Amino acid sequence: MVPLRLVTKNLAKHKLRFALTVLSLAIAIFLLCVLRSLVVALNAGVAAAASNRVIVQSKVSLFVYLPQSYGPKLALVDGVESIVRWNWFGGYYQEPSNFFAQFATDGKQLFEVYDELEIVDGSAEDFLRDRKACLLGQDTALKYGKKVGDTFPIIGTIFARLDGEPWDFQIAGIYRSSKATLDSNTLFFHYEFLEKSLEAGATVGPSGVGIFVLKLAPGADPVAVMSEVDAMFENGPQVVQATTEAEFQAQFVSMVGNVPMFVSSIGGGVMLAILLAALNTMLMSAREQTRDVGVLKALGFTDGSVFGILLAQGLVLCGTGGVIGILLAKVSEPGMTRMLSSMFPGYQVTDGTVMEAAGATLAIGLLSGIAPALRARSLSVIDALRAVR
Amino acid sequence: MIRLRGVTKTYTRGGETLVVLDHLDLDMEEGGFFALMGPSGSGKTTLLNLIGGLDHCDSGQIIVDGEDIARMSGPELAAWRAETVGFVFQGFNLIPVLTAQENVELPLLLTDLSRRERHEHARLALELVGLDDRRGHRPSQLSGGQEQRVAIARAFVTDPKMILADEPTGDLDRKSADDVLTLLVRLNREFGKTILMVTHDAQAADRARAIVHMEKGGTLGRIERRERQPAPI
Repeated sequence: MVPLRLVTKNLAKHKLRFALTVLSLAIAIFLLCVLRSLVVALNAGVAAAASNRVIVQSKVSLFVYLPQSYGPKLALVDGVESIVRWNWFGGYYQEPSNFFAQFATDGKQLFEVYDELEIVDGSAEDFLRDRKACLLGQDTALKYGKKVGDTFPIIGTIFARLDGEPWDFQIAGIYRSSKATLDSNTLFFHYEFLEKSLEAGATVGPSGVGIFVLKLAPGADPVAVMSEVDAMFENGPQVVQATTEAEFQAQFVSMVGNVPMFVSSIGGGVMLAILLAALNTMLMSAREQTRDVGVLKALGFTDGSVFGILLAQGLVLCGTGGVIGILLAKVSEPGMTRMLSSMFPGYQVTDGTVMEAAGATLAIGLLSGIAPALRARSLSVIDALRAVR
Repeated sequence: MIRLRGVTKTYTRGGETLVVLDHLDLDMEEGGFFALMGPSGSGKTTLLNLIGGLDHCDSGQIIVDGEDIARMSGPELAAWRAETVGFVFQGFNLIPVLTAQENVELPLLLTDLSRRERHEHARLALELVGLDDRRGHRPSQLSGGQEQRVAIARAFVTDPKMILADEPTGDLDRKSADDVLTLLVRLNREFGKTILMVTHDAQAADRARAIVHMEKGGTLGRIERRERQPAPI
């Protein structure tokens, strides 16, 4: 028998202490949710990677360009249905802080290879028709208030224009992606536009292709295709590395270090700190209730009941903080998604993250409640009644 | 009703063994009102704790209503206490975060009564001690005498056979002490509760039907029985 009213009233006895502990728990659980969501966002591309796409890049580094001549040869590999070029543009809008991804690509093939790309405003035809046109992800369009028909000036860094002016792209379409393999933040423009600008001397920058993305025909064996591609350019001029889309995404994640491990370490540290804070609160609270424990036992409450009361206090205290933290994470999700769209596209507080946060809350509640509960259970009635209130 | 045979209790403090009760034999009949008196260290409170099942003796028998509580396990003793004994302490020992009503309801949580029945029982108990109008007050909002009356209500709300009171008037002024003693006398005379009261106060002891004098070293002294109990004030 655990008198719940006693549990809640004991917690509410020191309102400020209760509020501060709950607040710190809420912040810690909120942080845990955010950190886990960042890891989820990083791994989303890997998890959702298509099995029918193969990425071809330089074996030396992603930053070493491949010759244009590789394209036609790759298109002839048995099992390859379509091929698209991607070149990292690396520009920004107005200020370097307004950084987001832009790629020069092959318009028509882009739609063939990425069927998750859906035009939500404007049209693919308009994009394909105009060499200076671009497709803009709906999150970026929303962020900068851009719409179809607008000019979107992007200042080049890798491909800076010699006249010092930005690249003026005409927004022909707004897209969104139905899968995590492609985010909804990127600007795609015509590779041909970049190529001609380089040829005309209007801009400087490396020539060549960043990566080739191969879409495989139904039933094609990705391993066989990758082996053939690797073998095809074994003697150069650029040795290539063909990987599955999942491997490519994983490589991207690992490029910024072991982020999941780093983030988990921070999360673990935060959880440990908050556990100690909650434990301290519970021990102080339990010590103040020593005499009450004696009274309850004298009245006939068993050691188990007293154990339950103290444990329940830990669970209610941490549960309150945990629920607030999880709610904060869910409520702030849209804002965080917008804020982190450039660095962590696909940020979302998944059900899995909520379950993990709930599990962490439960664990902290149990761990912080069990020490005072065990102490209360083992107290003799006489010793407890002698305690000074 | 209460029969103690060869009850011995020792404590070890700083490596030294202290005999608090030494082979004590004592009989107390059901429905009596006993005052336990004696000098400090004579084992009055220890005896009360043993009879109330709050502590275990080293040896001997403590038979209450035919049951040897000295042989009971912790959980058995807890259940026995909930059913058989009501406690009144010198420092009142009300739960500070609960109201008078909630404090009195607390032992009823261990019964099969419904929430409404618990509420009603506690209300009646508080009415009996004259604190019906203080039901929503927390202990800190009550006087010492009122706190002790709430504690008495809590002690008898489950209708136990005996009430054990450890210096129930020790922290009270004369007027409040008299009120508390009057309540205890009523519980004994009108409701047939067996009452054991540890006290240093001769005036308080005068309200009992028998005074058990304890001697230094934990032995039994004389037992003073009264033919006629003084009327309640």
